[in-house]
This record gives sequence, structure tokens and C-alpha cells, in this order.
Amino acid sequence: MDRRRFLVLSVLGVASLTFVPGLMRTSLAASKLEEDIQKRLGVSLSQIKESADVKLQAPTIAESGANVPVSVESDIPVEKVDSIWIFVDNNPSPWITDVKLTPMNGKVYFATRIKMGQTSNVRAILKLKDGSYLMATKEVKVTVGGCG
Amino acid sequence: MAVGTGILRVPKEAKKGEIVKVQMVITHPMEPGTRKDPQTGQLIPAYHLTKLEVFFNDKTVSVIDMGGGVSANPFIGLTLKVEESGIVKISYEDNKGGKWEKTAEIRVV
Repeated sequence: MDRRRFLVLSVLGVASLTFVPGLMRTSLAASKLEEDIQKRLGVSLSQIKESADVKLQAPTIAESGANVPVSVESDIPVEKVDSIWIFVDNNPSPWITDVKLTPMNGKVYFATRIKMGQTSNVRAILKLKDGSYLMATKEVKVTVGGCG
Repeated sequence: MAVGTGILRVPKEAKKGEIVKVQMVITHPMEPGTRKDPQTGQLIPAYHLTKLEVFFNDKTVSVIDMGGGVSANPFIGLTLKVEESGIVKISYEDNKGGKWEKTAEIRVV
């Protein structure tokens, strides 16, 4: 191996070592949520549309990530709704909970408290009986994480 | 309080057709299984509720699946449309086989 090829190869090697892990990390973080949604809902995140009909309430800033109150509400008749799903983008496991509703609920409402490891988007997804999905997203800033 | 103790809160009385809130708090550590013990560095094994069902007069109202992402001592709020007097029952279980039940009564006036 002559000197020029050696130099080119070593530059490439250093470049790949520094850039590739960074790229992999971001793509992994993004796909963890997508994977979870694909696995649990059977659709990809890009197919779910944002809707103002889903009202997601969560604090803008949460002091403790161990206890973040969220509630989901909608004026869509409960007869048309199958279930409510809650995801947190940056959690080690993005899926938090899902609730199957029945007409006996009277309206679409669900409240709980969730854990958040760091500042992240919280997503509430409504699965409708006709097979479509509606989503509301809200960013919650977390000062102290609650996942470790 | 012992693990699995539940508090179920519903209004004592409701009008026919009224939509009331059903709220519950369950004592449970909700360990997700991803946390490490700061002293020993060992993973703390998962220990959390997995399923909670809400019944009204033995008819299913809601089924909730959850994992370690729900806060310790989880609070859950739902609604229920009351058409008749009856018993609200919640039954819940964790990943270690624990199973509990709790009931409360609503009277239509």
C-alpha cells in the first residue's frame, strides 16, 4: 500500500468512526417510536394525521418526569372510537398505555399520570372504528427525568 | 400501603343518563425493568400493572393495558354513562401474577 492510499483510507476510517455513530443514534431514536407504533397499531406514524378533534392536555413544563399528568378528550362520539393510545417519543419504551372504550363510557375521556425520561413530545392517538387514526402532539419540557 | 391497594372514587348518586367520572389510584411501584439500582448497579426487575378492567353491573366499560411508563401509584380517570343503579368494579393485575378487585356503588336518583 503506497502512502497516498494509506492516507485516503485512514481519513475515511476516522470520518466514518466519528460520523456514523451519531447518525445511527438519531435514526435509532426516531425509529423506536415508529417501530412501537407499527408493532402495536399496525400502521406507520406517517399515516396518522394530526387532528384538532383530539384534545391532549399536558403541562408545558414538568418539574418531575416521574409524574406528568396527561388527559385526552374528544368531542367525537364514543360510538365511533375504538381506543386511545399514549406514546412518549424519547422514552426507552415509547408506548405508555392504551384504553379500549365502549359506548358505556358516554364520552371520549382518559386521564392518567406518566413517566418521562427527558423533554419529549407526548402523543395521543385515537383509533376510530372505521380503521383510521387521529393524533394530537404536545411537547413537554422535563427538568428532572423520571426513568432512572 | 400494601401493593395492590386500590382507591375507587365514583359519585354516590347520579341522574339517569348522566356521564360521571370514575377515578382510581392503585398503590403499586410500577418498576419498568430498565432502571438500575444506584448502589449496586444491578437492574431492578420489572414490576408493574399490566391490565386494568372497568365493569359496570358486570358489563365491560373499558380495558386498559399499561406498562412501566405509567407513574408509580397510577391514577386513572375515565367516564361512565349511568343508565341504572349499579356496581362499578375494577379488576387489575400485574406482571408477577398479582390480581385485585375493588367495587363502588352508584345509585340513580
